[in-house]
Amino acid sequence: MPDWIFIISRSLTLLGLLFIITKVLGKKQISELSFFEYVAGITIGSIAGEVVTGLESNMGHGVLALLVFGFVTFLVNYIAIKSKKFSDFAEGKSTVVIKDGKILEENLKKERYTIDELSALLRQKDIFKFADVEFAVLEPRGTLSALLKKENQPLTPKDLQMKMPNEKEPQTVIMDGNIIDESLRCAGKGRGWLYTELEKLGVTLDNVFLGQVDSYGEITVDLYNDKIQVPTPAQRPLLLATLKKVQADLEIFSLETECEKSKAMYKKNSIKLQETIDKLSPYLNG
Amino acid sequence: MTIASNVKQCLSTMKGIEAQLSSFALNSLDKDAQAIFHEAMLTIGEVKKDLQYRVLELERHEPQYMGS
Repeated sequence: MPDWIFIISRSLTLLGLLFIITKVLGKKQISELSFFEYVAGITIGSIAGEVVTGLESNMGHGVLALLVFGFVTFLVNYIAIKSKKFSDFAEGKSTVVIKDGKILEENLKKERYTIDELSALLRQKDIFKFADVEFAVLEPRGTLSALLKKENQPLTPKDLQMKMPNEKEPQTVIMDGNIIDESLRCAGKGRGWLYTELEKLGVTLDNVFLGQVDSYGEITVDLYNDKIQVPTPAQRPLLLATLKKVQADLEIFSLETECEKSKAMYKKNSIKLQETIDKLSPYLNG
Repeated sequence: MTIASNVKQCLSTMKGIEAQLSSFALNSLDKDAQAIFHEAMLTIGEVKKDLQYRVLELERHEPQYMGS
């Protein structure tokens, strides 16, 4: 048998084997989050490379080694889930390098990181001043996680005491002009609804490249024909504007009328509307 | 434009808002949003009722604007 057939057949077999091993070991193996997976990942790869090209050696040995590595990694993962102590040993523990805004030199030395490396890691997190950091940890995989001091953290609606509505994940209901029934069901809608919405937008199904439904049941589409302008959903801001208009109208009526009873009625209702507007506005903005 | 027609216009806008809110309440996925939309719809409904009553009153006072 010529060598090249040999290589092709071996490559294909090993590709399949590697695929199965990684599949069994799961996502953790691919991300190489822990120390052990990192080592196993490198070794499995190089064994596979060796087996594919090393023609004289026995293929069975290589496969055996791969299986052993796969099995041991699997076992280590399994025990690590059961025992915290073991997982600390096998997968490594994270090391605190900055605490209360102070760099812990001893821990840094223990991990053999220089100050330059630490600042490089901080810079990758867009932190240029170590004084901004309250707490930072070196993860087993060598990445740095940093908690900024409260005053340096990005502003969130919570800081402003704003009530924000919770949004569900958008569902992609049209792909390449095909309706994805499963996501449509997740969005709690049916095909009939979708056809109606598309008609409202004035587009045909086969012209839609991508269509998504957000948590308010509004649909946004991207068309194949990029020359066509599709209206963006503006129902909610529009509704808010209408509400405000009606509220203003009621106030005007209350000023205009001479009948005391109606004046009171208009006033009461305009206040009621204002309250509703305040309550609705987080949901209707954007 | 008379007061009566203004109020009538306001009333019909109100009806539109109520319908839109109802459709949002049905189409939203988030439970909180559904509840808020529904609640707002009920409030608008109350306001609408008051306005409807006022329209009838205006028509009685000024029959010449009936149906305008």
